[in-house]
Amino acid sequence: MRKRGKNRGMESKDFNRKSTKKIILVGNPNVGKSVVFNYLTGKYVVVSNYPGTTVEVSHGTTKWRGKNITVLDTPGVNSLLPTSEDEIVTRNILLNEKDALIVQVADAKNLRRSLLISSQLSEMGLPFLLVLNMEDEARERGIKINYQELYSLTGAKVISTVATQKKNLEKITEELVDLREATLNISYHPALEEAISQIAEFLPEENISPRSIAIMLLSGDKSLKRWLHARLPESRINEIEAIRRSCQAGFDQPISYLINQVRLEKVDEIVRRVTMIKPIKRKRLSTRIGELSVHPFWGVVILIGAVYLLYQVIGVFGAGVAVDFMEETVFGEYINPFFIRWTGRLVPVAWLRDLLVGQYGLLTMAMTYAFALILPIITFFFIAFGLMEDSGYLPRLAVMSNKIFRLIGLNGKAILPMILGLGCATMATLTTRILESKRDRIIVTLLLALGVPCSAQMAVIFGMLSGFSPMMVVLWAGVVGLVLAVVGYLAARYLPGEASDFVLELPPIRLPRIGNILIKTLSRIEWYLKEAVPLFALSTFILFIMDKTGILINIEKGASPLIKGVLGLPVETTQAFLIGFLRRDYGAAGLLALARAHALSAEQILVALVTMTLFVPCLANFLVIVKERGWKIGAAISGFILAVAFTVGGLLNLILKITGFKI
Amino acid sequence: MQFNWGKRKPHCHIRGPFCHREAETRDRAIDELLEFIWNLRENGVSDVADLQREASDPEARNILSYMEQEGLFAREGDKVYLKEKGEEKAREIIRRHRLTERLLMEIFELSEEEAEKEACKLEHILSPEVTDSVCTFLGHPPVCPHGKPIPPGKCCTAPEKSVRPLVMPLNDLDPGAEGRIVFISTNFPARLDKLSALGVAPGSIIKMRQKKPSPIIQVGETTVAVDPEIVHDIYVKAV
Ligand SMILES: [Zn+2]
Ligand SMILES: [Zn+2]
Ligand SMILES: [Zn+2]
Repeated sequence: MRKRGKNRGMESKDFNRKSTKKIILVGNPNVGKSVVFNYLTGKYVVVSNYPGTTVEVSHGTTKWRGKNITVLDTPGVNSLLPTSEDEIVTRNILLNEKDALIVQVADAKNLRRSLLISSQLSEMGLPFLLVLNMEDEARERGIKINYQELYSLTGAKVISTVATQKKNLEKITEELVDLREATLNISYHPALEEAISQIAEFLPEENISPRSIAIMLLSGDKSLKRWLHARLPESRINEIEAIRRSCQAGFDQPISYLINQVRLEKVDEIVRRVTMIKPIKRKRLSTRIGELSVHPFWGVVILIGAVYLLYQVIGVFGAGVAVDFMEETVFGEYINPFFIRWTGRLVPVAWLRDLLVGQYGLLTMAMTYAFALILPIITFFFIAFGLMEDSGYLPRLAVMSNKIFRLIGLNGKAILPMILGLGCATMATLTTRILESKRDRIIVTLLLALGVPCSAQMAVIFGMLSGFSPMMVVLWAGVVGLVLAVVGYLAARYLPGEASDFVLELPPIRLPRIGNILIKTLSRIEWYLKEAVPLFALSTFILFIMDKTGILINIEKGASPLIKGVLGLPVETTQAFLIGFLRRDYGAAGLLALARAHALSAEQILVALVTMTLFVPCLANFLVIVKERGWKIGAAISGFILAVAFTVGGLLNLILKITGFKI
Repeated sequence: MQFNWGKRKPHCHIRGPFCHREAETRDRAIDELLEFIWNLRENGVSDVADLQREASDPEARNILSYMEQEGLFAREGDKVYLKEKGEEKAREIIRRHRLTERLLMEIFELSEEEAEKEACKLEHILSPEVTDSVCTFLGHPPVCPHGKPIPPGKCCTAPEKSVRPLVMPLNDLDPGAEGRIVFISTNFPARLDKLSALGVAPGSIIKMRQKKPSPIIQVGETTVAVDPEIVHDIYVKAV
């Protein structure tokens, strides 16, 4: 979820200092790469490899032969012929980092997939050290590997480690001396070989072999476009494309697939020769738990249990107890009075004082909002999220919800930002980056903004609903849910682009390690503060300006016919809606105040709540949408949501009036 | 028989018109020539010169002109193209040849050479009924073991399951059962890349872990949850 995509350009300056030696870690997802990284650099960053969480390339330094050298932790990949953003990032690092010491971290129990990457490294002509990690898990499964034989077949130096127990990790830096190129070279179909050598002749000398680049180009790798244009004239590029096309015409299957098959065949042969498997009958408890968590019945039970636990931890404790303490005690009694007192003494200008500590003050309102209201909630959210992630439950949650999301043209991966949206829609919008297609990201962004109430808002909504019969809750949730489903369905239908495939690897269920969770939570909080707090400050500032210039009052006046006429609500609720745009939960709080004063009937409360829930997201969320998706989509989403919210609210009001339904 | 195939496939369908030189009967020779023209076309060649070179011996030249008279193919300038009648016939031969290849290589596990030899014999003998049975038995494969398309027959469109196929969609495998992947048939190339990078490719032993609520498959120590369409695309032979 961190700065994905930004680092992917080959121009990224951080990775391009070519002079100094570096250690680069590469490998499949979930092989313990980050643990090795943390061991080498002595610093934990983000440990587990759920898609989106380690996309940022982590840096660190380590001592090697008496010198400090940089270590890069690349995103986990399944292939160096990239099919995802992560893989593009990793491939580009290998392409650009001259003279690096490459360490391939591999899962010993999954040698086949590891060697698939080894074969690609070898093809690139890059010397590398093969670290077979999780040797203990392999042994548990009855897998024995003949390292000597593996070395002689691949030509790559091999060591085995158990990173979580720090076993043999010291050997990594020792073995990095005198790396030699591996000999795991594969020859393909003669027709392909011919095309490969033709293309390779056109390519400049690079850090990785022209042959490997030629294979990527022949496979139709579009991510090399920029690289290619920077180095070759247009005519050559067209020639390469012509070679590719005529070569492809000779085969019915995509070239990339043919190449992969040959690699797998070769790899399988090696695996057969170096591994001995004694099948172990006994099922481990973790395997059993893993199976249950995706079981059609027990999986649902576990899912409900997990959601209930989430609600208790984040909703009840985080959003309730912790927020109350932070807001009322810490900020209400100490921090805000302190700011107000000192600003009063130090700042003589009245409007400046207002800007800092007034009703819409940067110090009082923005800081209280960011640190007292949201920080406690997201802290608990990140802890819970980290636990689910490290235990391996998160991808299983995606499995359980795949069917539901498929109904609206998305896949199970969409549940991750959606759940996050129950914490804070702003943050969740940023995490839509884990989705593969642009189309999926837009749909989820839209649904998040439209109808996933954030925790702060949820707390107020539940506060309001709690005084009424359960019918009220059912109606509210039903209407909002229905709107989400219909909008999602229609969006998926009419937005251009294919639904992306649901192909999600399920890592084994593991006991999460508390240290990792805490460090991960801290680094995410740091990220949240960097990304979201400036936006809160900006929204508060806009609110301040609107208040001072009188725009706020005018909008209120202008909107009241809509509120009164369409929604059938008293004029006073206008302000709640307006503030609701700037801060969703405060909008709901405004309604709560009116409801407490008995200014609204039960039906009016229902209409107001439904409209408020569907209403435009808070300004921070809006700004993030614009930042992530651009102005055009941001404006389109907001306009659409506004229309849907008032239409649904109006219709609900009409139906309640006509039927004379009483709650 | 010398024909410059450029750097294309060195095996399969490129043995020229005479799979077996001793092809005596005229029908057989006609079949071979039709097959040859089809293959030429698939490789983007339809030059009359190639055909003529192949048909250098007087016997073959006779057959060629006979075929032209019969309306099986025609020339236009220096290009050769199949006429409706020839097209139909060639299609059937190609279908038989490639289905037989699949059968012999996948099921009887013959070597490529042997399979090729036998396929060349069987392609002239199989009746349409037997061909369709073989096709059904194999699960209506879309391509031959070399990746060349198999023209679909009647059986491929009629969803009849009178013969229990030995090669079946992974979806038909019971949960907990294992199969060896024979081919993956999909219209989405990206899907193939993604799956093969995870080790899901022809030749791999795959286990169907569960079908509901989402299909979960396992190859080696890799467990992957996928869309239901994907398990329909993967064809396996039970092991
Ligand atoms: Zn033949
Ligand atoms: Zn073939
Ligand atoms: Zn068929």
